[in-house]
Amino acid sequence: MTSVRRLLALPEWSGRVRVLAGAAGLDAPVRAVRPIADPGAAEAVAADELIIVTAPPQPADWRLDALLRRVVDAGGAGILVPCATRPATARTAGGGSQAGPGTSAGGRASEPAEVSRATLLLAERLGLPLLGAFSGDPLDLVVAARLLLAEPEIDRARLVLAAHRAFDNRTHTPEDVVRRLEDLLRVPVALLDDRGQPLAGEIAEPGQVRVDEFVPQRVELADGVLLAHPALLPHPARPTLWLVAELRGTAAARAEIVPPALAVAAAAVQRWLLAHRLELERDARARTALLGDLLRVDAEPSAQLRRRVADAGWQLGGWHVGLRIGAVPTLDLVPYTAEISRVLRAEGVEAVVVEHGEGWTGWTTFAQEPTPARVRALAARLRAAHRKLRGSIADHMGVGRPHPWPEGLAGTVAEATDAARLAATRPEAGYFLQVDQLGMAQLLLEWTRTDTFEPAARALLAPLRDQPGDLIRTLSAYLDAESSIAETAAVLGVHRNTVTARIDRVERLLGVDLGHRDERLALHLACRTVTLPGR
Amino acid sequence: MPRIDLPDVDALERGVAVLGSGGGGDSRTAATLLRRRLADGLDVAVRPLTSLPPDARVVPVGVVGATAVFAEKLPGGHEVAAAVEAIQRWTGERADALVSIEIGGLNGVLPLVAACDLELGAVDADLSGRGLPRLDQLSLAAAGRPLTPAALAEPSGQVIVQGTGAPADLERTARTFLPAAGGWAALALAPVPARELAASCVTGSVSGAVRLGRRILALGESPDPERLAAATGGRVLSVGRVVEVTRRPGPEVHGRPGFARGSVTLAGHRSGELLRVEMENEYLLALRDGLVVASTPDVIAVLDRRTGVPIAGDTVRVGMEVMVLQVAISPFWTDPRRIAVLAPRAYGLDSDPVLLERGDRPEVPG
Repeated sequence: MTSVRRLLALPEWSGRVRVLAGAAGLDAPVRAVRPIADPGAAEAVAADELIIVTAPPQPADWRLDALLRRVVDAGGAGILVPCATRPATARTAGGGSQAGPGTSAGGRASEPAEVSRATLLLAERLGLPLLGAFSGDPLDLVVAARLLLAEPEIDRARLVLAAHRAFDNRTHTPEDVVRRLEDLLRVPVALLDDRGQPLAGEIAEPGQVRVDEFVPQRVELADGVLLAHPALLPHPARPTLWLVAELRGTAAARAEIVPPALAVAAAAVQRWLLAHRLELERDARARTALLGDLLRVDAEPSAQLRRRVADAGWQLGGWHVGLRIGAVPTLDLVPYTAEISRVLRAEGVEAVVVEHGEGWTGWTTFAQEPTPARVRALAARLRAAHRKLRGSIADHMGVGRPHPWPEGLAGTVAEATDAARLAATRPEAGYFLQVDQLGMAQLLLEWTRTDTFEPAARALLAPLRDQPGDLIRTLSAYLDAESSIAETAAVLGVHRNTVTARIDRVERLLGVDLGHRDERLALHLACRTVTLPGR
Repeated sequence: MPRIDLPDVDALERGVAVLGSGGGGDSRTAATLLRRRLADGLDVAVRPLTSLPPDARVVPVGVVGATAVFAEKLPGGHEVAAAVEAIQRWTGERADALVSIEIGGLNGVLPLVAACDLELGAVDADLSGRGLPRLDQLSLAAAGRPLTPAALAEPSGQVIVQGTGAPADLERTARTFLPAAGGWAALALAPVPARELAASCVTGSVSGAVRLGRRILALGESPDPERLAAATGGRVLSVGRVVEVTRRPGPEVHGRPGFARGSVTLAGHRSGELLRVEMENEYLLALRDGLVVASTPDVIAVLDRRTGVPIAGDTVRVGMEVMVLQVAISPFWTDPRRIAVLAPRAYGLDSDPVLLERGDRPEVPG
């Protein structure tokens, strides 16, 4: 912010303009400079305005006093008056009524003739700078002051133009954007990810940026200011990158002019994000289509398909272990595929991962049939990877058994898919299941969870609903307990007679005999289907 | 107030000095002349305008010119008589009574001396209600009456009569004549019938000036500002020390130098506030810290802090301890038809009048 003191340092002002009185107000801000023809001009004065009287005032003009007061009352910054003459000789106070022009009582050599001592005293009392211009055209002073006041605007415009030149239509990588912006601003610049971690460049306090507020930010630091501008994709809001410039020390004075240039650079980052995203998206679509074709293969794949697989860089010979990762709800999959590959790789698992439905499908390949120990080791690594991904990206994961190419790929992927579906309901297993651990029985059970079986199971048990005594749960526990009344009572925490009475009512309501093995099996499956969690 | 007695003269002298608003000339010489006549046992009757027969001819008289010279170039005693004689001869009418052209300053007292000498009554009224610098500002002119014919008589014997002319012409004639006259001259205007004078003068001004002076004198030495305000029905704008007096020539009028201008600034004792008073022949405008707080036509008087004696604009000096008093002007001048005659802009001061509230105004003195 420009002050009166700053104006006095202008080359056009220094040596010509002196402070006559009111030095206490020299550091008040000046936002505008207004020339007026004479002190009596009825123009309104605005706050933070410096009034420049363009014609020398009458000697000892009382209207200058009134103007001082008006400027103070309006919150103005000061007054400048041209002083054409310096008093040549000192005179005593109260000269004759015929005193010549330019005399003022007590004409002290240090004070100009135009301004009386009373006016100086008033300016001093009001704390308003009263400046005297002793040579030059006051309008030149106005022009110089206005150029200075416009300087931040000019600086800003220059910087924005330079930023536009630096970030032309070509796509720049984040590192490139950061480097060019650093060259422009000559301050540290960094690109932060949506958690505030630096992706490119480096600043001292990246944690100060409020990454959850997707608006340009200005963070005050102890010795400067942090300016941040988000680079957003249209939809969804994330991922968001933050372009941050750190202005410390004297550079902090430029905090007003930097943001528009930062916005231009952020637009370059955004362009990169869009281009990158487009590439990923195109890639993902191709891979998803290829995976679909591959999983549908029931004979030897065609030469063309083999060619596409090779182009994708997928290794299809050997033994495969299928993976299925369910994504957290409403996640935009494509940007996270790379992250999943990275986490798997960190755990020592090289796997193909493809966006597929509401998650990812993939596999990892062994050259020879893996030993059970190697499969267990793989499962342990995958479980570790899943723990890292779970919550933010992945929800549940299933792993199939090793199968050899070509028929095996679809098989192990299907197993992994079944296992993943089951894993979604198994918090005790950490939402992670491997087919080997499941046993075939559970997979068989999983097959009962089809669209045709489930309504039938509900219909079968329908008479037990809305009956007192929690009959479905009692029946389920009874069958789980191998028809033991005592164990059922213990599991449910009720008296055995209660269990007996309930089982009698179940048999009556359903019209079944629980001693009959087929009916018992059908009811056991139905119970399991309708009582499974997650349904 | 049918007559002025010796003790009344002190009060009258103080009252007219305050009403002079810093101008109007030194009333001391005139007061001395009046005291001398009263001491000789002569009578000075001051009669209310209403007690005169409607046809009684009232002649406005006074002194014009550099009133400071009046104290140096003393009157011979015949000047007012010569002017009245000239105007009687010109109009063919006899004067039944005299009225002062200006209650403020010298002219508040001298017409009473003349009335005594001419054995005429004086009317309890004047044509200004305060001190005024120009003839064309007199209440007669403000009310739309001509000032001519008018007669001017100077101490060394010259007498001139202006038969016709607008009030501004008479003012110009007087200013032209005065240098040749040696600084001052007595003025007499054509007789005005008493019934017509009532609507074109400020009534009760002599008795009002005596009352005002008496109240100020009653406060004694170093009067308390609040009691002074209460006694005068006015407002004390500041009490302080004069820190600057500036004087400068005014703009030219008709090719001659205009009245000198100047300003007095005092630093208030209470909070250091700066009270600046702009003056020409009188104190005209007061600014406190740059804000206009009082203006003509109200009377602005600068009083000596200790004695309470008004200090004229041409004698005020840096270092004096003073208080500045604002006294309400007669309602004659606050009438919207006449206020422009005495408003600050009539003196080239670009400000609206800032007057005491109506409620503060004293009753029209009866």
